[in-house]
Amino acid sequence: MLIKTTQRLKPAAPLLTQSSLLKKVRINATHCGISFHWYRHFNVSCSLTAKVQSRNKPRVKVDIPRLERITYANRMHYVPGLAKPFSPAFVRDWHDPCHYKSPTQENMPLYNEKPCFIFNQRTHPLEGVRQALWLTKSKLIKGLPDRVLSLVNSKAIQIENQDERVQNTIRHARLWYTTEEEPSRRKYCGALLRNLLHLCGSLQTTHPGLGRRMLAEKYSLTATWSRGEELFQVRGQNGILLNSMAPIPVLAEKEEVQNTSDHVLETFYPISPTIDLQRVQVYKEQSHKGFKEDYPFPHAHTLFILEEGDIPFKLQPEYLRTKMIMFSFGNALARAHTLYGTAPGVLEEPIVVQSVATNGQMFQFAVFQLNTTDLQADEGVKNQVWLEEDQPLYDHALVHPVLKRKVVHIPAGLSGYKPETFQKFLSLYLHGAV
Amino acid sequence: MRMLSFSQPALVPGQITRQSLVGSQANYIAFLTPSLLMRSGLSQWRGFLTTASLDQNRTFWKQREKYTVRPIGMKKTGGRDHTGKIRTHGIGGGHKQRYRWVDFQRLRYEPGKDENPFEEKVMEVRYDPCRSADIALVAGGNRKRWIIATENMQAGDLIKTSGAIGRMAVSAKEGDSFPLGALPVGTLINNLELYPGIGATRIRAAGTSGVLLRKVNGTAIVQLPSKQQVQVIETCMATVGRVSNIDHNKRIIGKAGRNRWLGIRPSSGLWKRKGGWAGRKIKPLPPMKSYVNLPSVSAN
Repeated sequence: MLIKTTQRLKPAAPLLTQSSLLKKVRINATHCGISFHWYRHFNVSCSLTAKVQSRNKPRVKVDIPRLERITYANRMHYVPGLAKPFSPAFVRDWHDPCHYKSPTQENMPLYNEKPCFIFNQRTHPLEGVRQALWLTKSKLIKGLPDRVLSLVNSKAIQIENQDERVQNTIRHARLWYTTEEEPSRRKYCGALLRNLLHLCGSLQTTHPGLGRRMLAEKYSLTATWSRGEELFQVRGQNGILLNSMAPIPVLAEKEEVQNTSDHVLETFYPISPTIDLQRVQVYKEQSHKGFKEDYPFPHAHTLFILEEGDIPFKLQPEYLRTKMIMFSFGNALARAHTLYGTAPGVLEEPIVVQSVATNGQMFQFAVFQLNTTDLQADEGVKNQVWLEEDQPLYDHALVHPVLKRKVVHIPAGLSGYKPETFQKFLSLYLHGAV
Repeated sequence: MRMLSFSQPALVPGQITRQSLVGSQANYIAFLTPSLLMRSGLSQWRGFLTTASLDQNRTFWKQREKYTVRPIGMKKTGGRDHTGKIRTHGIGGGHKQRYRWVDFQRLRYEPGKDENPFEEKVMEVRYDPCRSADIALVAGGNRKRWIIATENMQAGDLIKTSGAIGRMAVSAKEGDSFPLGALPVGTLINNLELYPGIGATRIRAAGTSGVLLRKVNGTAIVQLPSKQQVQVIETCMATVGRVSNIDHNKRIIGKAGRNRWLGIRPSSGLWKRKGGWAGRKIKPLPPMKSYVNLPSVSAN
């Protein structure tokens, strides 16, 4: 409208004097019925104080078959009384990745009617370890298995200057690792684990079996199983996996395995065991370890999980233990499915997978033995989990001492080193190679 | 709402005339035209805004489709509405709070499940900054939700919710939720619905409770904490017991600053003549309020 006015004004401009132009504009203004006080427009109070119109309900369009609407499309402008022209949605006839629209879930090729409940590395199941035991149909045994304990207690398995070297390792991770004042948990957590693994690896001269191992980071796991009436999956990246050429020897003998059938699984009525697991309908039923068929280290030995305290995904120790159980179970199940096929049944040779989790100070140890892949019913042989909870490697590692009333309460540097925790770590590492 | 620059069309006439015309007349027109056009009211001049953005006062944070138990970040409005005008006096400042979405419709069946009475387990009872009562996280089946906690609710309790009205009145435990028709007369109740299925709107503040006075002809009469009586349909749900945090009225604010922590501002200080509320006057109770829309007899 403005442009039109200027166009109208343009030819008139040389002909008109100032007064006549003003007069004309004034007449225009009175015609339009708009205030002459133009300075009022300088603020926006008028637009702010205007009454807020309620949003209209979208009008329902009624399509009557064989009745064409008369639109104002040909007139090229709005005409009251005629319908608004309808143009169908534009569909490109070429592929444009920037404007890709994914199909709806129902139209995806992997869509299934039956939902699947997925456990991933960030899942916080409400019931924690109890829920993991139900999902994996396992029996919990507190403490480490006897075979590992005998390794812990044997004096023969020692690194040279063990305590001193471990303490230096901790000091490296907690105090010397960074040029900053203090390394963050994210930094020292991983550094401590790698240092300890390096230290354990130095025993390769005396235990050549350690040479047949391989660490894999960022591997991705999938394991699918049915439990009760539901379908479950353990999926995704989860930690650092130590693979080996030879499997870990079985921990519980056949008689003990048979005795687990008397164990009654704990239920948690009224809460469903699927609570807090991700419910999806687009999934693929498969079990895969995340490695190629000809990978020379097919046996998962130990799964190392770091709890780096990243704010949105921080796991409390209870959930960390749940994660350890679920992912070591997933590794064992995927291995069992590749070895014996997906048909459920009691395994002739149980599969053992260990798991170690740390937050840079506290260690959690778990050993999982997969006795059966028949997880559908609650009866029958159960799997076994040995769990050692909350083992601190040291009490404090501080850059500055903690003072109270000018008395040193906690000295700077490393204090409260617990050698038995490292001994457990070392025994789990050497398990299967001694 | 934001208009921080001159709107484009207002500049256009001046530019056009400058380009198209020559000589003194051109200068003259160039000088005159924008202001004149503005005077004529034809311009799209919207001015510019010098205040802060009003997006703060929008309520996008609470417009959610899917229920979540995670705390939702709230935005403070200071009592202003979306136009920036004060709508409620005496609000402003205070500690940052997060909103926990309380499910007031206790009889909400889990989607995809049968509509049978169900039980839930109390996982946690905790303080809620957004209300005077405590809230409880309950889990049952495949879901979790926040509800208003009753007086003696503790983590680990099992609470029951039922929508059935039997022939006999139930012997209800505290924290259980039943339709009013199923409860015995004289029960202390809270979280009362006024219409069936819309969610509890009455008796939710800390330490309050109502009394189920009598049941008449498919309706129930309840005494609210204000002693007013309401008549509602007997299928309205109510929770048995008294709302938690019973010592809420005994707390000592202590100083003016603590009210500011809670986001309450002092009143204006302007002298106002006392009204009728100031003297002692015993008024009769208001008549019973009915929320029952029964069809009239003449309609049949």
